[in-house]
Amino acid sequence: MTLLEAAQALRKRAVSSAELTETSLKRIGELNPQLNAMMTTLEESARAQAQAADEELAQGADRGPLHGVPIAVKDVFETRGVRTTCGSVIFLHHVPDRDAAVVERLAAAGAVLVGKTGMHELAYGITSNNPHFGTIRNPRDPERIPGGSSGGSGAAVASEMVFMAMGSDTGGSIRIPASFCGTVGLKPTTGRVSRYGVMPLDFSLDHMGPLARSVRDAAVTLQAIAGFDPRDETSSQEPVGNYLPDHGCSIHEVRIGLPQNFYFERLDPDVDMAVRRMAAIAESLGASILPVRVPDIEALNAVGRVILLAEASALMEKYIGNRDQFGSDVLALLDQGRLLPATDYVNAQRLRRMMQREFAHLWSQVDCLFTPTTPMAAPQIGEKTAHLGDFVEDVRLAATRLVRGINVLGLPAISIPCGRDRRGLPVGLQIVGRPFDEALILRVAAALEDAAG
Amino acid sequence: MKNWQKIAEAYDLRIPDSDLERIAPSLDTLELAFRPLTKRIPDDVEPAITFRILAESGE
Repeated sequence: MTLLEAAQALRKRAVSSAELTETSLKRIGELNPQLNAMMTTLEESARAQAQAADEELAQGADRGPLHGVPIAVKDVFETRGVRTTCGSVIFLHHVPDRDAAVVERLAAAGAVLVGKTGMHELAYGITSNNPHFGTIRNPRDPERIPGGSSGGSGAAVASEMVFMAMGSDTGGSIRIPASFCGTVGLKPTTGRVSRYGVMPLDFSLDHMGPLARSVRDAAVTLQAIAGFDPRDETSSQEPVGNYLPDHGCSIHEVRIGLPQNFYFERLDPDVDMAVRRMAAIAESLGASILPVRVPDIEALNAVGRVILLAEASALMEKYIGNRDQFGSDVLALLDQGRLLPATDYVNAQRLRRMMQREFAHLWSQVDCLFTPTTPMAAPQIGEKTAHLGDFVEDVRLAATRLVRGINVLGLPAISIPCGRDRRGLPVGLQIVGRPFDEALILRVAAALEDAAG
Repeated sequence: MKNWQKIAEAYDLRIPDSDLERIAPSLDTLELAFRPLTKRIPDDVEPAITFRILAESGE
């Protein structure tokens, strides 16, 4: 059952929010000991919220599709009176006195917060193999990683613990777990969703968005959380669109760019085939598939790495004196950032502006791009290298290679399941759009979901 | 390649030698990819960081 199907059932009185919430809590109780997707479960407050939602709906007070639906947020979103760890022992006892803007908006939409999901330490990695809070496992194959850093959100949605879970994405941290766990994951445009009250990894690359069971579930979530927030300096005043695609939505004459360079190099052949199959389906629905050459994404990724290393290390500088508080992989990244000269950071931000202009030319040719989300399906826990044909690559670099640059450019992107590899593991298609054109990428994604099932 | 150990010492970063050895290859790879890019930035390109000041926040 999707979030929108649950919303429909609630309105038909076929089910109550209390029943949905009990089912969610039961599932967490059954599955979490193995998957470790949920960091904190909020049984008492969730039951109270569900009861309130049932009472409001009975009185005809309808707050929209999220009203009464059990959801979760990554443990990077501050929650008033509820511990928020950011997956780090540094914040083991951090109990905020405020809610993040996203949490406020989800509450205003009537969602029932049943828990906070686990994550890679400090959101700084893609395995979600957390040295302090344990390994998070992929529900599709518990011997494999769920991706990260929003691994708990991906696992919680894929295992149907909740209907939607919020994630954060600095270099792919929503889209990678979506790809590895077989869910939808949406990274909105920079400034579209407020970062207020989200523990930052990086000032200029962090984005907030949903992981969901369907494209339309992601769309209604974005509808609830999007919009200007004066408490976030990067928040945009661009008007919020209508994100929910119609049933039977058309993509006739949509121009879809299929990159001829970079994005289809060094892939698992099963991933290549699955993504091209989706392009063929889009074409059969009336879209135009156009070959395009994209600007230098290797360079864009290098720029993104410099920015992330420098900004994350600046943020964590005050804590790094106590090196024992960090896992070895996070510490290695923080040390790298401390060794970069300030001139490199400034020049990376200058290159970012140049590359943004170069990339903008693409939008006169196409309306969106199709790429794989990750070059391979979920690796095994502890696997360090990915073997992609004759090419051997560090798993972390491989997993972020096709998604990191999109954060540097600030563009909206969605990952949707597009098939399975030879082992039956999910494969993700990434659709990248123009700034603030979330409506178009959601429409294309919904049309494909409708057609491909 | 840069001598990361000397840079760490100069900045007084107190990174153990074993940790420096572990991260040096990643830094070298990044250096190779990033350094040539800096040579093609025109002088008039400003960083993608904006400092905004509002009239009412003036002191």
